[in-house]
Amino acid sequence: MQRALLYGVFTALVSLLLGYSVEPWMGWVLFYTGLSVHLAMHYRNFSRLERWSRKPVLDASLEGDGEWDRVFRRLYRHEKELLEKIERREREIARLIAAVHAMNDGIVLLDAEFQIQFCNKTAERQLDLALATDRGAPIANIVRQPAFVDYLDRADFSRPLTLRLDRYFERVLSLYLISYAEGHWLLQVKDITQTDRLDSMRRDFVANVSHELRTPLTVLSGFVETLQEIEVDEDTRRHYLQLMGEQSQRMQSIVQDLLTLSSIESAPPPEDQLVDMDSLVDKLRRDAEALSAGRHHIVLDSEGQGDLVGAESELVSALANLVANAVRYTPAGGTITLIWRISPEGAEFAVQDTGIGIDAKHIPRLTERFYRVDRGRSRDAGGTGLGLAIVKHALSRHQATLEVSSEPGKGSRFAACFPASRVRCE
Amino acid sequence: MNESQHVSSQFDEDLGRLRTHVLQMGGLVETQISAAIEAYTTGEIASVKTIVETDRKVNDLEKAIDDDCAHIIAKRQPTASDLRLVLGISKIVTDLERAGDEAKKIAKGVRRIYDNGHLPAQYGVGIRHLAEAALAMVRQALDAFARLDGALAVSVIRADADVDVEFKSIIRQLITHMMEDPRTITTSIDIISISRAIERIGDHAKNISEQVIFVVEGRDIRHNKEAIK
Repeated sequence: MQRALLYGVFTALVSLLLGYSVEPWMGWVLFYTGLSVHLAMHYRNFSRLERWSRKPVLDASLEGDGEWDRVFRRLYRHEKELLEKIERREREIARLIAAVHAMNDGIVLLDAEFQIQFCNKTAERQLDLALATDRGAPIANIVRQPAFVDYLDRADFSRPLTLRLDRYFERVLSLYLISYAEGHWLLQVKDITQTDRLDSMRRDFVANVSHELRTPLTVLSGFVETLQEIEVDEDTRRHYLQLMGEQSQRMQSIVQDLLTLSSIESAPPPEDQLVDMDSLVDKLRRDAEALSAGRHHIVLDSEGQGDLVGAESELVSALANLVANAVRYTPAGGTITLIWRISPEGAEFAVQDTGIGIDAKHIPRLTERFYRVDRGRSRDAGGTGLGLAIVKHALSRHQATLEVSSEPGKGSRFAACFPASRVRCE
Repeated sequence: MNESQHVSSQFDEDLGRLRTHVLQMGGLVETQISAAIEAYTTGEIASVKTIVETDRKVNDLEKAIDDDCAHIIAKRQPTASDLRLVLGISKIVTDLERAGDEAKKIAKGVRRIYDNGHLPAQYGVGIRHLAEAALAMVRQALDAFARLDGALAVSVIRADADVDVEFKSIIRQLITHMMEDPRTITTSIDIISISRAIERIGDHAKNISEQVIFVVEGRDIRHNKEAIK
């Protein structure tokens, strides 16, 4: 500004000097020419500014002469800072959106009419939404479960809604509707399928334990009552007592198995001791022979030299359960093969039988507590319904897995596979 | 100008509400069908009662929606796509209501079988599979209506052929059962009526999809197999 003023004063002074010393009109001419040049320069810069303001992009065209240059430079800097700020904000927003998409919980933003404004990927998956097509649609158009529609209608969102969806596969969702930013709603969706399943498993477990214990108890108390009320002859009495003995034995083995299971579950990780596998496998074979009492053909197929590291008592209860199962579910005359393979890469103890076999649909559930393929039969055979649960727990504490393959009518193969870290070969 | 804009946005709101009501009714029918499947597989007879009760709500909604359609046509005289929407809706609700009735029939059949001391589930998993396919069709048809998605509607119409094939194979299987063991005839007849109802649900889903295509594209493709090729 000062320079423009100086230029004006200077032009005026020179013109005045010229006017006084030479001719007045020359002074005027010089004065007007000077001002016109000055005006032309300003006009040129002004039209540049005007042109730029029509489409304000950041480029080199934004530069001027003299005084204008400073203005243009300041404008340029301001514009640049603004753009950077916008870019920074956009990056922040994009990061926030990415974070919302990365969440494990579903998030749906709704307006006052419960129309979908935004939802993250998890919510798309959970509720079968598609943001691209469903933006602006009332959420009840897509999530049509009457329970959900009623929940929205009732407008009491103090408690979450538990929603069961059976699209594609069973899912249990917990929905929270939270008010935010004046009249807008945030719908938070948690997948509680796992917790729900655990809850029902726990409930089933208690119900099963009571049921399994009550059955022999009913028999027992029935006989006690009979013996108290009526006179019976010696033979009948002995027969009753024998049945009572069997039932109390049954209860005892259920309680024993429950205790084993809970001690395996709650005990600290097994202390690593070297387990002499040759003698253990031999003992398992002898157990099998004793249990079978000559009804089956027992074969031992052992290969490799080495021992396992782990808790001997747990390994014994796991492997002995597999052997006992095979004896129990193989009809007389069948063959039971105990297979023991050990090498530095890992070890496997398998029991192969020619028994009744298991239908494929039961196999994934075999290790559930009290899961029975055939209720009557397994109880007759003296099973408690906890054996394989114990096996699975004991093995998993040794990082070992239980692999089951079976064909109904042909026989089954149960294998405990131990990782290399558990093997000690001389 | 301002006046007409106000009126038309009010109209849009009315149409939007109408659509939401149809989808609400659809949601009720969906739960009826899935509850019927549940009753079939688990024997939870208690759910049969809820299905019958839901049916009353479905019927009320059908009447209310029909009423709304008549009102909109009389008061707003909609044209073009709006008119197609209203006409389509009045047909969709009929099909939805009938699909709900079929679910009720399934539930009653299940109750009959259990009352006679039989387990329907032992007659193979085919029925459950068929029912799930039909339910998926209803869902997709309603999704197509909610999103006005013509392509999805076409895929529902195509899926109906699979359901029909599966239905026929179940009938064949049941006939073999009955010939092998005449004692199964009573239950088999009930199962046939259940699978018939399921197959009808598939047909209703197909009809709904045809209406969706009519609403979206203005084409009437009923009774025209070439149209969806």
